[in-house]
Amino acid sequence: MKKVIVAILVSVCGVVSAQEVENDSIKSISLDSLQQAINEHQLKFDALNEQLSPMQEQVDRMSKLKISGYMQVQFEMYNYQDIPVVTPASGTTPAKTSYYQLKPGTSETNVPLATNSVDVNNSFNIRRARIKFTYQPLEGVIFVLQPNFSFSAVTLKDAYVQLNDPWINSFQLWIGQFNRPDYEVEFSSRDRIIMERSRMSGILYPQERDLGAKISMNLATQYEIPLKIDIAAFNGNFGEGPIANQVTDVDSEKDFVIRTTYSLQFPKQGLGIDFGANGYFGKNTVFAAGTYSDVNSNPFTAAVGDKLKKQWFGAEMQVFSDLLGGLALKSEFNKGVISGTAGSAIVNNNPSFNFSGEREFTGYYVTLEKNFGTKFQAGARYDSWDPNNKLKGNEVTVAQDLKVHTWGFAFHYFFTTNTKIGLGYTMPINETSTTVGGIYNDDVKNNTTTLRFQASF
Amino acid sequence: MKTTKLKTVLILMVVMGIGFSFTTINKVTVKGSDTMVILSQKWAEVYMKKNPGTSIQVTGGGSGVGLAALINGSTDIANSSRPIKASEVEKLKARYGTLGVEIPCAKDGLSVYLNKANPVTTLTLKQIGQIFAGKITNWSQVGGPDATIKLYGRESSSGTFGFFKDNVVRTDFSPTCQTLPGTAAIVNAVKKDKYSIGYGGAAYAEGVKDCAVKKDDKSPAILPTAATIKNHTYPIARYLYMYLKSKPTGEAKAFIDWILSPAGQAIIEEVGYYPLK
Repeated sequence: MKKVIVAILVSVCGVVSAQEVENDSIKSISLDSLQQAINEHQLKFDALNEQLSPMQEQVDRMSKLKISGYMQVQFEMYNYQDIPVVTPASGTTPAKTSYYQLKPGTSETNVPLATNSVDVNNSFNIRRARIKFTYQPLEGVIFVLQPNFSFSAVTLKDAYVQLNDPWINSFQLWIGQFNRPDYEVEFSSRDRIIMERSRMSGILYPQERDLGAKISMNLATQYEIPLKIDIAAFNGNFGEGPIANQVTDVDSEKDFVIRTTYSLQFPKQGLGIDFGANGYFGKNTVFAAGTYSDVNSNPFTAAVGDKLKKQWFGAEMQVFSDLLGGLALKSEFNKGVISGTAGSAIVNNNPSFNFSGEREFTGYYVTLEKNFGTKFQAGARYDSWDPNNKLKGNEVTVAQDLKVHTWGFAFHYFFTTNTKIGLGYTMPINETSTTVGGIYNDDVKNNTTTLRFQASF
Repeated sequence: MKTTKLKTVLILMVVMGIGFSFTTINKVTVKGSDTMVILSQKWAEVYMKKNPGTSIQVTGGGSGVGLAALINGSTDIANSSRPIKASEVEKLKARYGTLGVEIPCAKDGLSVYLNKANPVTTLTLKQIGQIFAGKITNWSQVGGPDATIKLYGRESSSGTFGFFKDNVVRTDFSPTCQTLPGTAAIVNAVKKDKYSIGYGGAAYAEGVKDCAVKKDDKSPAILPTAATIKNHTYPIARYLYMYLKSKPTGEAKAFIDWILSPAGQAIIEEVGYYPLK
């Protein structure tokens, strides 16, 4: 019994003393160690803060630089023309007719007919590989640099400084190399549904960009008036002639562009209408004396230094509707006089016009774009380019004067937010003329199917 | 021949267009404003309880991040504590052919926090702007003690940052303005630093004092209260928005309709913001 009582007392004492010790130790350890832990952590935080401060500065500096870019790789299938080429009889060898193929991409009415002696009806190619650097060192100052990488060269696409007015926050000054003011030109290929820009834009604005300065007024930011006016002056010879001649002006003449747009918004109806007008006022200097053709197709002699007219007026409209998930109708129209000198060696030769003389032209396009959820897009476009308003059908004597209507269709699927695949079909239909003859007695076979992969970041 | 091909392509496009247009969303994703994230999560939580089987996923990241996600198609709804920018509308037009849909869903006031020990109690909008722009650097320049002003603000992806910049600072923030992740962190920093100043949601001002704000020198000083924010007499009041790329349909529409209903609006004050009516 004694043993039992002693054992119980010992164990109770043990429990009591253990509890006391435990309580004491918890209290003293928790307070002291907590203070110590806080102090230690404070020191660690201070050290981390010290380490992070210079890094934060670097991060802040880096955050002023934005890098974006995109790449388009495509597989094209060409439907092209068999061109009969007659080899005259020679000695005992009789005359022979062989068939050549239109070289892919040159089956246009406004460039000299080039041929492939070997059948090429499909090809892979890289359409775009661009990186855009946008640096904003401080509010209202932006530097943009955009090189384009191609198989054998890196070329400069955009290189400009944009200065915003700090007083009324409505004006911007652009200086450098940038897109000419035009809706289709300024709309990036990465977002466009139809595979290529319209024929009109390609001829009027070769390579889209030019070197110059632009003042842009946007009254929406400060005054909530959705009016925008762009006035620009350019060298006027970008995308023309040998590339070495494009880095500076080839004459002292400048091309002037004015474009104004106004936006109407009807949020309740989910409807937006942007419309505008533009004017282009420039001249082409003659660098190769010779016989040129005037707007009435009459020949005249031009001397080096003579000026040819380059002037047009246009209108545009884009309608955006929240109909079944998004629908857009876009259209532009231009009418005026275009001019130039044929021959790729000429310093201001526009390769898409490539004609010696002046022509009254009309061009327009209408594009319908439909969006389906976040994965699918489709579009259809009809565009028209009439390089010589004064002649029609068999009155046309040279291929460059033939009118071309082009149907374009495209369908896109977005794999992810940054990658998409597009399938497009382009179907140019040229005016026919027995006077021009040859392949232009009928519609030239020059349709193209394109399967394009695009990745952007 | 070409006409037949054209007709076939056009008919195919119309049929596919109508078919794809009626695709429905099973899960609703909401992304954007950190200011709105608690409110939005509360809305989602209550709505999902009332509508079992629905899935609403809410994440933050900032208004700019939410709107970028809306543009690139990775969220159905973008929460934003600032109005959408014209450049963001242009991106929606380019990508979807729509202007986007703006739905104001609550009201909020941006409070200018001061330490309780700071004798300064009132500032004009212009003075606040100049303080955060770094043009006023000492409290003595606005009637306070001779002490350097310490600035606390939000990151540039935050809608609160954007709204405060566009409506109060109107230029670049001073490089000395320390950015902190979230309004609570700003309140905490101002609480500890006698000569500091910060900004954020009026509901977060615990342990600091609100600065009474004057529209200009001649206007009365207004404190951010429920009444002054609701009736817009407090000069730094704003709407909180939800943005969609096009008119809501299906589950997203039902969720938004509920948010705008009395049941959804009743939750707003619980979280510290103010209902539309």
